Amino acid sequence: MTTFIIRRVVWTIPVILLVILMTFLMMKQIKGNPFRHTERNVPASIQRNLERKFHLDRPWYVQYAYYVKGVFTLDLGPSMSQRSRTVNDIVRDGFPRSLKLGLLAYLWAIVFGVPAGILAALRPNSIFDYFAMLFSSIGFALPSFFVATLLIYYVSVRAGLVPTSGWPASFWSFDSRVILPSFALGLFPMAYFARLVRGAMLETMQQDYVRTAKAKGLRYRRVIGLHVLRNSLIPAVTATAPLLGLIITGTFVIEFIFSIPGIGRYFINSVSNRDYSVVLGITVLTSIIIVIANLFVDIMYGVLDPRTREAR
Amino acid sequence: MAVDRREAALPTAPPAVGAGAAVEEGTAGAPVAQTSLWRDAWHRYLRNKAAVAAAAVFILMVLYCLIIPGFWKIPGIWTSLKDYDPNEVDFSQSYVGFSLDHPLSTDKFGRDLFARTAVGGQISIAIGFAATFFILVIGVVYGSISGFLGGKVDNAMMRFLDALYGLPYLPFAIITLAIIGSQNFLAMTIALTIASWFTAARIVRGQVITLKENDYVRAAKAVGARWYRILARHLLPNTLGVLIIAIFLELPGVVLGEAFLSFIGLGINPPTASWGSMAQDGREAYRLHPEVLFIPCLAIATLVMCANFIADGMRDALDPRTRETG
Repeated sequence: MTTFIIRRVVWTIPVILLVILMTFLMMKQIKGNPFRHTERNVPASIQRNLERKFHLDRPWYVQYAYYVKGVFTLDLGPSMSQRSRTVNDIVRDGFPRSLKLGLLAYLWAIVFGVPAGILAALRPNSIFDYFAMLFSSIGFALPSFFVATLLIYYVSVRAGLVPTSGWPASFWSFDSRVILPSFALGLFPMAYFARLVRGAMLETMQQDYVRTAKAKGLRYRRVIGLHVLRNSLIPAVTATAPLLGLIITGTFVIEFIFSIPGIGRYFINSVSNRDYSVVLGITVLTSIIIVIANLFVDIMYGVLDPRTREAR
Repeated sequence: MAVDRREAALPTAPPAVGAGAAVEEGTAGAPVAQTSLWRDAWHRYLRNKAAVAAAAVFILMVLYCLIIPGFWKIPGIWTSLKDYDPNEVDFSQSYVGFSLDHPLSTDKFGRDLFARTAVGGQISIAIGFAATFFILVIGVVYGSISGFLGGKVDNAMMRFLDALYGLPYLPFAIITLAIIGSQNFLAMTIALTIASWFTAARIVRGQVITLKENDYVRAAKAVGARWYRILARHLLPNTLGVLIIAIFLELPGVVLGEAFLSFIGLGINPPTASWGSMAQDGREAYRLHPEVLFIPCLAIATLVMCANFIADGMRDALDPRTRETG
């Protein structure tokens, strides 16, 4: 088990390097230079100095090396269009807000999606099952920006229950403004978890060991709790990592609609400002988060299901 | 193995094609007789009412998008004799509400939304199918090379894929768009393809690896079939079922991706109509005129939901073993 974990952890380092390289090379392909797009006429000497400051006059692999060094020392470099701020400042500003939004969305999914899936599987083809799955299909298909605007329109504008936009200032403060964005973002994972858990439970209930447990006279609750639930929640754990990518994608749009100053909003603004270092920094950061989440899920999977350890 | 919903929705076992084809394939050169299997699947699909309804709605939507813009200019379909051009601006007609003249109302510029939704749908659906096509082409090439060669090559190719898997899809698509430097149909197709081909490659690889171990492949090898013959004759045709399902698994993601990008202003830009750009248009005034936003969103949602149901129905039809647990 320890070797498995060590091997898996060591392996993430080249993966992270490759991810940074890919993103870095892609950023290099974008035409246009942030310093050549100002209205002011920048003298050639200043232009050169700026390029030297950001190592833009060096070959790409030297720039890459500088960048990797920066990432591993937790320094994502200066912002190219907001001269007084660094990418670290922007991440420190925006990331906690996005993280909170994402975590609350997960909370919706776990609190409502998982029980819905369990209940639906316990009574397959019942009315509840039917509605849960209908709801899940709808949650799958509705674009999150549509859910978000629907909620704003009916809950905020028409009913006036909660403010239309904004976000609490500190990470630990909560008010009514967090409800709509997190629900809009959480609807997809909720639908996903409900479906996933239902499918896994139905499959587990057909296994031989469940029949054995029933046959030896174990009570229904114990069969479900001990044998079925434990085994069918594994897919829900594994699904966390790929869902993370979707949640990150979702935060971009949700932050845009609810005017939440998270990293997604900064990212979108930076793309139009050609602020390379912010775009690169945020992409690398989210990629690293996903890589680490994958690592965590693989290890969890190894712990929960010993059969998978040998295979990798 | 990390699973996303496209992978999770697929059968883990090879579809029944392998077993069906193996019986008929005594000699390596005989034509692959698959009609019975496909007819079988077709019958199973028809029994699934939700999937049939979804397919019907899907076809109707595609027909609506293809036909309405052409016929809409022919006077007399609705009560009016006026031609409605989806891009014609007429401020006297702005936000007129639902009427027989404008069955889906008009937007701020007085453009008819019934016609505009159809034209926008053409772009959205076309991007959807084009990107899905390229995703599957790349997936088949990458996945079959990786799965077929196996060993170190496979390992390296899959590790590369793992690394790419780490890149969150929206930033990746946005950066690709920035590289291309324009936001038209082609650019969107390329960006969405580049951002989401990984799953298809994994699916094909998994399928090829499972099929490779089948007896009929060994038999073909034993009688001296070359690698390309095995690949083209025995492996790829048997991934066809999975690929057809994959079309409808990939399509929703791409359509939603287009809508996302256009909605935040980094995709198709107004006045060009796509469902995403229409939603972006509608966002300005949705507090007073929500229908302008809701119509394109409902179109997207309907299409995506239909595609999901079709994929489910096809999976059940092609692999009856998963039917009970799905």
